[in-house]
Amino acid sequence: MAESELLDAEEYRRLCDYLYRRTGMAFTEARRYFVERRVEDRMIATGSSSFASYFARLRVNMEGEVEKLINAATVNETYFYREDHQFTCLTSNMLQERLRVKPPGEVLRIWSVPCSTGEEPYSIAIWLLENWPEVDAHDVEIVASDIDTNVLNAARSGIFGKRALMRLSAGLTGKYFTRAGPEHWQILDELRQSVRFTAANIVAQTETRPHGLFDVIFCRNLLIYFDDTSRRIAAENLYESLAPGGYVCLGHAESMSRISPLFEVCRFADAIVYRRPLEAKHG
Amino acid sequence: MPLIRSKCDNAAAGVLREEPASLASASPDERWAAARAACDPACISSLGDALALELDARVRQAIFTALARIATPESAGVILPYMRVDDASTRTGALDALRAMPEAARPHLPGLLVDPDADVRILACDLVRDAGGADGPRWLCAMIETEPQANVCAAAVEVLGEIADAAAGPCLSRCAERFPDDPFLRFAIKVVADRVRAETPAPRG
Ligand SMILES: C[S@@+](CC[C@H](N)C(=O)[O-])C[C@H]1O[C@@H](n2cnc3c(N)ncnc32)[C@H](O)[C@@H]1O
Repeated sequence: MAESELLDAEEYRRLCDYLYRRTGMAFTEARRYFVERRVEDRMIATGSSSFASYFARLRVNMEGEVEKLINAATVNETYFYREDHQFTCLTSNMLQERLRVKPPGEVLRIWSVPCSTGEEPYSIAIWLLENWPEVDAHDVEIVASDIDTNVLNAARSGIFGKRALMRLSAGLTGKYFTRAGPEHWQILDELRQSVRFTAANIVAQTETRPHGLFDVIFCRNLLIYFDDTSRRIAAENLYESLAPGGYVCLGHAESMSRISPLFEVCRFADAIVYRRPLEAKHG
Repeated sequence: MPLIRSKCDNAAAGVLREEPASLASASPDERWAAARAACDPACISSLGDALALELDARVRQAIFTALARIATPESAGVILPYMRVDDASTRTGALDALRAMPEAARPHLPGLLVDPDADVRILACDLVRDAGGADGPRWLCAMIETEPQANVCAAAVEVLGEIADAAAGPCLSRCAERFPDDPFLRFAIKVVADRVRAETPAPRG
């Protein structure tokens, strides 16, 4: 066994099998080093002397250990054009569907929550300008919220490092950013002005409600951190924040059907998204 | 630039209403709002009454969430009867709500595992996976020593495969011996016994 390896191959496989069965999250061999470090942290935190005793604790989910390991193993990261197949779906399907049912001239409202340091809402703005031929014909409002006011300040400043920009072509970076140092780029003022940043805790109805009703909500890579009850409350808050017929997009490891039967599943060509039914279902 | 920034926080919020809503209202939207606002133990009995009458799936869901938020053994107790209803979506809703409050559901599990209704016992095995805590393996082991129905034992054995350790070995063997004519159950038990043999016991606490 190599020195850096805390778990042998069989133990790693059992851990991954278990996490997959419990959470649907698939950790591959490529993530091994990373997962092992998180397991090591959790072993220390729980005072487990061996992987076997830690795994025993995990398997009975003692003191919510599954959630804690998942939190530790999910990087708190974000970047431009993350899961951009959902942006394709936004411009090819969701916005068209919304325009079909909305009164003409009404503003299309999009909410990025949680927005972290801003990569997601700015991506939406750039994507619309680049990929939606009708962008000039409609008013679009992008609101971006997060619970953490530090990330919101960073988002407002709009300065990003190389890692955040890795998925943008040089053409797009040149078009929408100016250099702000040897390793940093700042997004154009015009785009900064196009996104409104607000603080909001998604499980607090009093904080989500004042944002009004949206046509599309991106709520990606957050619900996975929550326990079941918080997920249910968040799902109900999202439902209330959507116009009837509005859509919510989740991260790839998240699924609303397990979380809440309030939404309809929409399988578009590029993405599976969830919709608040146009008419409330009865019975 | 067509992307706009709205000036007012409440731009589109005008349609949301603020008066206190009632669980007994004729309007599902009001009942939904009332259920969402009821997150105090004092609301348990009115939530229970409302649940018994509620026909709207969305409102029922909000009532389940409210009870899960309260998360006491009493609020879990209000949900238990819905494990027996014919409607599958209500049953699933009840189970999901109980899973969301494992500590509150836990005291009910020993009773559910010996419920007269075999379907309830099967669902209870499933709940032990998420809500049984450190006692889960012991409860399921005790169950498969006496449980008369093979399909209920199979449900318990499946969960034991996920949560039990080597200590479950002997009771798994005894369960297999009680059902000599059930090759499926015997096979399932063998697979699980092989799997748990490698597991170290969980620390207590
Ligand atoms: C991994 S980032 C997701 C960013 C982006 N949506 C993405 O997918 O790239 C998670 C963010 O959730 C925020 N967050 C955590 N709890 C929250 C809550 N209760 N309400 C709103 N945001 C929350 C964190 O501050 C963090 O910025």
